Amino acid sequence: MKRKKNVRLTGAIALISAVAVSLTGCGGRDDDSSGGARGASTGITDTTVTLGVTTPLSGATAGPGTCTVAGLKAYFGAVNAKGGVKFGDGKTRKVEIKAQDDAYDPQKAKSNYDQLKGSVFAMTSGLGTPTNRAYREAAIADKVPQVLVMTGDPIFSDTKESPEQLGFVPTYVNEGEAFGKLLAASGQDHKVAILSQNDDYGQGYVEGFKKGVEGASNISIVKELTYEATDTSVDAQITQLAGTHADVVFNAMSITPLAIASLQKAQQLNWKPSWFLPSNTSSPKAILEPGKAMAYPGVYSVSFAKAPQSPAFAGDEDVKTFLSDLKQYADYPDMPAFPHCMWSYMVGATLDQAFQKMKEPTREGFMKSLRDIKDFTAPLMLEGTSVDTTVDGQPAVSSVVVQKYNGTGYATVENFG
Amino acid sequence: MTLLELESVTASYGPVQVLDGVSLSVPEGGAVGILGANGAGKTTTLRAISGTVRAGGRILFDGSDIRGKRPDQVAALGIAHVPEGRGTFGALTVRENLRVGAYLRRDRKQIESDIDFLLELFPNLEERFKSNASALSGGEQQMLAVGRAFMAKPRLLLLDEASLGLAPSTAKTVYDAIAELRRESGIAMLVVEQNANLAFRLVDSATVLETGRSVLSGTSAELRGMDEIRRAYLGG
Amino acid sequence: MSLATGLLSRAWVRWAITAVVVVVLFVLPLQLDEYTNQNLARIGVFAVAVLGLNVVMGYTGQVSLGQIFFVGAGAYVTGYGASHDWNIVLVFVASVLVPGVIGLLVALAAARLGGLAIAMVTIALPIVGVPFAKRLSDFTGGSQGMSSAFSNAPGWTGLYNDQWQLYIVLVVGGAVFLLIRNLVRGKYGRAFAIVKDNEAVAASMGISPYRYKVLAFTVASLIGGASGFLYMAVIQFTSPETMSFGHSITLLASMVIGGAASILGSLLGGAYYVLVPQWSNDIDPNLTELLQGALLLLTLLLLPGGLATLPRVLARTLRRTRTPDPSERRQTPSAPPAPGRASVEETPTVGGIPAQSPTERQEQA
Repeated sequence: MKRKKNVRLTGAIALISAVAVSLTGCGGRDDDSSGGARGASTGITDTTVTLGVTTPLSGATAGPGTCTVAGLKAYFGAVNAKGGVKFGDGKTRKVEIKAQDDAYDPQKAKSNYDQLKGSVFAMTSGLGTPTNRAYREAAIADKVPQVLVMTGDPIFSDTKESPEQLGFVPTYVNEGEAFGKLLAASGQDHKVAILSQNDDYGQGYVEGFKKGVEGASNISIVKELTYEATDTSVDAQITQLAGTHADVVFNAMSITPLAIASLQKAQQLNWKPSWFLPSNTSSPKAILEPGKAMAYPGVYSVSFAKAPQSPAFAGDEDVKTFLSDLKQYADYPDMPAFPHCMWSYMVGATLDQAFQKMKEPTREGFMKSLRDIKDFTAPLMLEGTSVDTTVDGQPAVSSVVVQKYNGTGYATVENFG
Repeated sequence: MTLLELESVTASYGPVQVLDGVSLSVPEGGAVGILGANGAGKTTTLRAISGTVRAGGRILFDGSDIRGKRPDQVAALGIAHVPEGRGTFGALTVRENLRVGAYLRRDRKQIESDIDFLLELFPNLEERFKSNASALSGGEQQMLAVGRAFMAKPRLLLLDEASLGLAPSTAKTVYDAIAELRRESGIAMLVVEQNANLAFRLVDSATVLETGRSVLSGTSAELRGMDEIRRAYLGG
Repeated sequence: MSLATGLLSRAWVRWAITAVVVVVLFVLPLQLDEYTNQNLARIGVFAVAVLGLNVVMGYTGQVSLGQIFFVGAGAYVTGYGASHDWNIVLVFVASVLVPGVIGLLVALAAARLGGLAIAMVTIALPIVGVPFAKRLSDFTGGSQGMSSAFSNAPGWTGLYNDQWQLYIVLVVGGAVFLLIRNLVRGKYGRAFAIVKDNEAVAASMGISPYRYKVLAFTVASLIGGASGFLYMAVIQFTSPETMSFGHSITLLASMVIGGAASILGSLLGGAYYVLVPQWSNDIDPNLTELLQGALLLLTLLLLPGGLATLPRVLARTLRRTRTPDPSERRQTPSAPPAPGRASVEETPTVGGIPAQSPTERQEQA
């Protein structure tokens, strides 16, 4: 009995090994793995350039993840239809996109990268801090650009730490700082209560806000509380903060139900301050309407992209082109549910800029020209924001504008109040 | 010498009192039957001894109270339980099943000679030595279950309804084989059986349970002579 | 077939094959391309994780939905130790022992509850683990995770990183597989099987179900830790998402697909865990979940015992095709042994014609 099993196992292993050896053939490692044009890097030929994306297309973050591919496909679909991108070396290339699902799992993201790196010119647009971090060091070692990725993690914008990387979206610090500056400039005295998530997300926002109000004598922070991302209620914190009678709440919160509950709880306590909410928990439909936000003197958030669902942009040329490209080239017929669709469209436009300027079809040449884009207003960008890749330590988009809720959507404001 | 002594043992499943004062004793090397109707508490008595049911009263094994011990601790003391429904391991061979019975033993050589001894007593098993237990007939499986318990070298064997689901002639064969094992090994036995005729092929004395209480005990001969016993448990 | 088996059962033949396999495993990383090496290493990581799950679930029958927690814990300990320049042996030992001790403590409490309670407790592990890892940012790097390049090939080896990492996986994973193979084939394995089969009988034989459940669970956590060490060696990064609950479910599915209570099945389970998401990505990255679900169902319907039973099932089918069973022949005496027919018993035929006419069938129905 025992012996028989042994035989079977040994046999199976022998068989597997034999198959493996014969499948792979023999011969040592071929080091210059590049294909395509002479002197060119992997993933670029005289007529095409291939971009790789690893992003969540299934699981809890599939919605925003799908958008990070859809916008990119929409942008380059339209460009390819017109012939392609005219590169700085004089050749016109079509842009191909290879997107893979990592389900927000760092291990799968690394596996996708390992698979893609042999055939793509650069990695781009993927969503998620852990998933992007999972292959960051490998990308540096392999000298594969990992650029314009969707994470607020500042490490991707630190040239020394991350020579092959560049983040796209503003960091949490950028967002908090923008609101802090607006508040400090109001000229009036404000008492601010802070509630933040007890992790790097909340800490980033608070750090930015404090930077924005630094030295402003009209701002006093009267109380700072935190909650855990796993908490199911923040009623106790809101009640405590209400006791301070602060006129502004800085709420660095990433959990949708908690954001709604805090808006409701403060009203219950008859406490009516102005609110600041982060860009990803400020949706009019999903949060402000159920939270009855119109009861407050003001609800503020930050943004850098035009919102297609907002009536203010219904007739906007950018928005119309974007929506039709999305439908035609990205198989995304609905109104985008996440801003990532707009962001990845802008990623496309930014890459386009870098391609047009790069003189050599190499990854080095690409990184050089990518880091040299200034004052570029990508389609869908709000007035007052732009792409600037020349500042070390900052993502491609670090400028955001503060917006105020008006009952249906957001409108940019110059002043607080 | 008394090996096992039960004094007013009680037990309940939740709110239902199943044992309400069971007393009996098993002498060293003796075989005692527990007779009674369905639901009288026969099986529960065995479970109380083996520790699978929490019990009240006193259960003395070799002079010390074993109540509250875990089943595996009770087994380690030398009490082997052959549960109702046998519980042989279908995917294992007869030989492997017997080995399982000797799990706690360290004396390898003795184990092999015990297996040989057992197979001489149970020739049916010897024929099926290499087949899986699931291929055995009901009677053979019952013998295997008893054999497995024997392999633990217990001082007391608890046997629960060995005739269950067997044809009458098979049941007789099984009981005779167990009686043979008893004679050859001298292991004391406590035997639950609904069919008193079968039980008397094996035991020297018996206790009758009625609704969780011992109502009567005596030697086999005494009990056979009683009218009500004959009517209730001997079929006429 | 029988000739091959006969040859294989000779001791020297088996030794020779083992030697060949060892040599092949040694040479293989040098011959394969980088991506294949990386994939093989990944398969090794998750094969070890599935093996651990198999000890507690496959062999001992206790539902555990927390295996990924131990993998994550092992990865974190490895990352922490490596970034503090601990000796590599110490890193490995700690990455195995820390999850092992956690597993032991959890098992001591949970195994007493019995039944499904142990499953419930194990569900809690990854659910608590993720926020815990975010919270302990001094130790874990918070939600940004932790990377470590401790497993890059040392210069003196002249090897590429992927080759060196695959060697680490082969050595550590190979050792774990050998140890567990011996464990489950020996006395402990028998006790596990008995506890799985019938706890009451196990207890009546003097085998404490409680003690063996705790033992199995602890061994599973130790192996989970070893898998976490390999995870860090191969992926070089871990974050709270590493131990998200969904991955525990995928590990469980991999165990079932590979083959429960099977050493070979654990290996195949690891391959399933790694390769199937890749295949589904190659087919359509937008349908990965659907494709994986469909494949899972299909495998379970065709091979309910898992992929490890495939050779047996194939052999049975082959035997049936070549020489129909005598008993079957008795049923259909005039049926010639039709060559190439997949299954004789499916539709009994008489001289190539279905044995029953359609009308007869209707009458029966």
